[in-house]
Parts: sequence; structure tokens; C-alpha cells
Amino acid sequence: MARALRRRIVCQTLWLALAWPVALGAQPPHDVAVVVHPDVPVDGLTTADLRRLVLGDRGFWPGSLRVTLLLRAPVAHERDVVLKNICEMTEAQFRQHWIAKVFRADTAVAPKIVYSSEMAVDLVNRMAGAIAFIDAAQVGRGMRVVKIDGRMPGDKGYTLH
Amino acid sequence: MTDRSPTLFIVSVALVSLLCLGSAQPAVAQPAHPAPPDEQATREAQPEYPSLHLSGFADINFAAQNRNEGARGFSEGQFTLHLVSALSPRVAFFGELTFSPRSDAGTGSPPATGFNAEVERAIIRFDQSDQLKVSFGRYHTPINWWNTAFHHGQWLQTTISRPEMTQFGGRFIPVHFVGALAEGVFPSGGWNINYQAGVGNGRGNVISRAGDAGDNNDVPAFLLNVSTKPDRAFGLQVGGSVYADRITTAGRPDFNERIVAAHAVWQHEDPEIIAEIADVRHKQVGGSLSTSNLAYYVQAAYRLPASAHLWKPYYRFEHIDINTNDVVFAGVPSLDGSTIGVRFDISTYAAIKTEGRFRRRVENQPRTNGWFLQIAFTF
Repeated sequence: MARALRRRIVCQTLWLALAWPVALGAQPPHDVAVVVHPDVPVDGLTTADLRRLVLGDRGFWPGSLRVTLLLRAPVAHERDVVLKNICEMTEAQFRQHWIAKVFRADTAVAPKIVYSSEMAVDLVNRMAGAIAFIDAAQVGRGMRVVKIDGRMPGDKGYTLH
Repeated sequence: MTDRSPTLFIVSVALVSLLCLGSAQPAVAQPAHPAPPDEQATREAQPEYPSLHLSGFADINFAAQNRNEGARGFSEGQFTLHLVSALSPRVAFFGELTFSPRSDAGTGSPPATGFNAEVERAIIRFDQSDQLKVSFGRYHTPINWWNTAFHHGQWLQTTISRPEMTQFGGRFIPVHFVGALAEGVFPSGGWNINYQAGVGNGRGNVISRAGDAGDNNDVPAFLLNVSTKPDRAFGLQVGGSVYADRITTAGRPDFNERIVAAHAVWQHEDPEIIAEIADVRHKQVGGSLSTSNLAYYVQAAYRLPASAHLWKPYYRFEHIDINTNDVVFAGVPSLDGSTIGVRFDISTYAAIKTEGRFRRRVENQPRTNGWFLQIAFTF
């Protein structure tokens, strides 16, 4: 009986050991929320609007408020989602796009790089006209999340994930 | 045992489930008070004016040709410095300086310098909104897509060479423009109509140069460029432009110049397609001489997929037909040419390109064939 119990404990410990990393890897990818400064007079954007903002083709919000684009540094999940789902570009293509954009004198201001969700949250609340991409799980109360194509993070069909 | 086993099993399942949930839980929690950010990073991200940023482009070339059309052997390309500075949230300055190696360096009296320094662009712009931006300065004339897309940054363009119709120092279109420009974009239901309207000095006494020191006649140059970048076809740009000027050169009568141009561009890299056409007409002022000159090119490139994505083969055909009666374009050669090559991106900011050029200037005359290599980069 003791041997049987020991075998069961060993089996269940092994199961636990195996299940732990599987459970970690099986986390569903989180949606990326589009967050704007409280003064930005926009409740929703289309994917095309968002693309124009991220690629610098649109530099102003309604009311002529200047857009300040906050983007996570390379490798961050939020940046990957934006580049892949919105810009349809690789990291190299995106960098080349912005170098060319500035070089063409289309804009004097490239996206500001933020190095953490906390920094993004802080800046988007402080800088007038700011827009940032934040893991939906990191969105705090009171933050201004805009709908994308009429959908909020977590809604079925939301594109930023 | 029979009593304890199910209990042990349930406990272990509950434990594993709890651990699994626990691993996911922190990520889905909604923190009401995020951790304090790095204050220094936050401070650095705040805008400061003026905010001068400097970037550069350079290239090293090798050429082998069966006839003398440009440099042979190794040569330095243009050393380009680009300056951009936001002066306020709505005002910005853009500048572009180039240093081009001279083939007559050290000759003459005083001896010619090794490099020509040139202010290619110097623009100050006021951004009122996306619909209206007004600027003043020296531009690359926005009547040709290539001319404003790539400027002097060889690394930015897929190929080594520019199409000859928009060649720096060329005469077919006025590459530079000194004056004022209003530009903007209207969403227009997803059509994204872009416009640029300008007035300036037009061509100078030497028609390949802009009137940097002032207009050489009392008729300003006008231009209008309209294009669309529809949301439904992301990467597509289609547009057209018109340009009007009076050309005054020493020893010749004045001519009115009218340029009508169009472009269609598919900017994705799989494929990349660029097609442009321009018709340049010259009509003698007070005379009957009227001529028309046509140029076009079509370029296609394709970034190879998967593990070969660093390679981008390309091909361009170009044609320039100069009317032999055109006094303004006397000495400008016609062209039927093909360029075939491949670009290899050795890093995000550097590329090696190699191409063959096959050009015929006059029908039934031998071609000029050449092989070219370039290392182009930005820094």
C-alpha cells in the first residue's frame, strides 16, 4: 500500500511538473489596447485610421491636436502586434519606413519609444495628444481606451492580439 | 487506500489547476495603480525645442563599362547629411547637405576642391493641420514620385541608379524647386487625397539647376500634384502633376515649359512596382516652335520569401524620347535602357546592390553595357 501511494505521489508530482510549463505556455495572447490621452477627442478608430497614425500619415487629432505616437521598443509583444496586424510590416520595413518618412520631410517627429508598459501608461496620461499600445491586462481604471473598428479589447473580432 | 486515492487525486488536480490559474492570473489582473515609471526615461520622452537630429547616408561604388558613361572603377558616392529639427509642435526645419566627389579635384587655379558641397534641401514648414501645411525653401520638385521619395539617400532606393528622367544634375525634369509649397491630405472616405501646390522660381540660367539666387525672369513657376493612397489598397499610390514655368537661358529665346506627369506605385516589397511617365513641352515665347518630349520607366522588384528575404531582385525599363528640334533640351540624350540587378540587405541599415545596365542612346548604334556594385548605408 505504501508503495502504491508512493507511486501515485511520484506520478502526480511528475504530472504537476509537466503541467506547469504547459500551463504557462498555453496562456492565451492578450489583446493590445489602444489608449489615448484623456483630452484626445476620439472614441473609436478604424484599422485604417490606426495605420495612418502609426505610419505617420496622420499627424493631428480632430481639433488640430498634434498626435504623439508612443511605441514599445522592439521585441515587445505590443510592438509586434502593431507592426504585424496594423502596418503589415516587418521590423526592418517599419524602421526603413520611418527613416524614409523623416528623410522625405513628411514629419519632424518619429515615434517615441517607451520601454515598459508602466512608462507607456505614464506618458499617455501626461502628454497631450498621446496614443499608446498597452497590453489590455495592464490597462488601469480611468484610462482612455478607444474602440478599434467598433470593438474593445476582449470583444470577439478585435484585431489587436 | 481506496478511500484516500480519489481524495489525493482531487487534491492534486485542484493544486495543478490553482497553479495554472495562478500563473495566468497576474497577467490578466487590472492594476488600478501601475508601478511608478522610470522618471528619467519619462523626462527624456518629453518634447524639447529645438530638437536637432542628424542622420546620414553614404555609398561606395564600383563600375565597369564598355563605354565611358560616368565613373569607372571604385568611386565614392554622395556623402549626405540630413538635419531635422522640430522648432515647436507645429514648426519644423528640414535640411539636406551633400558632398559629391569631383573628377577635376586639384586642377585649375585656385585648385578645385575634392568635393562639391551643396544645400540640396532647406525647408521650414508650419503644420496647421493634416489638411494644411505651408513651407518655404528649397525642395526636390514634387512633380515626380521618385524625386521626392528617395532624395539623395541611395540606401533608401532598391536600385543603385535613379531613373535617368529624374537623375540628379539631369535636365529632363527640374529636380529642384525654390519657393513655397502648401500641402495636405483629405481622408475623403478612405481615398486619402494628397495635394501639393507650389509657386517658385523654376529653372535657373542653367536648366538643371533651380533659381537659388532668384528668378531669372518675371514669370514664376507653378506646380500642382494630386495623388491618392486608398485605405482599401494599402501600399498603392496613384497620382498626377502639372508644372508650368518660363525658361530663360542666355543666347536663346524664352520658352514656356509645361510638364504633365503621372505615377502609380505599389509600395509593398512583394512585389514593389513603380511606374512613372512625364511629358515635357516647350513652346517658344512669341514664336511658333513647339516641341514635346516623353519619358517613362517601369520598375518591378520582389523581396524573396522566408530564408531568402534579404534578397530583392529587380528590373527596370526606361525610355526617354527627346525631340531633336527642342532647343531647350539640346544635348539631352534619348534613351532605351534596361537595368537588372539584386539588392542584398546585409543589415537593417546597410545593403549591397549589384546591377547590369544596358543602354542604347541612338537607334541602330551600339549599346553601352555596364556592371555596377554599390554598398549603401545610413548612419
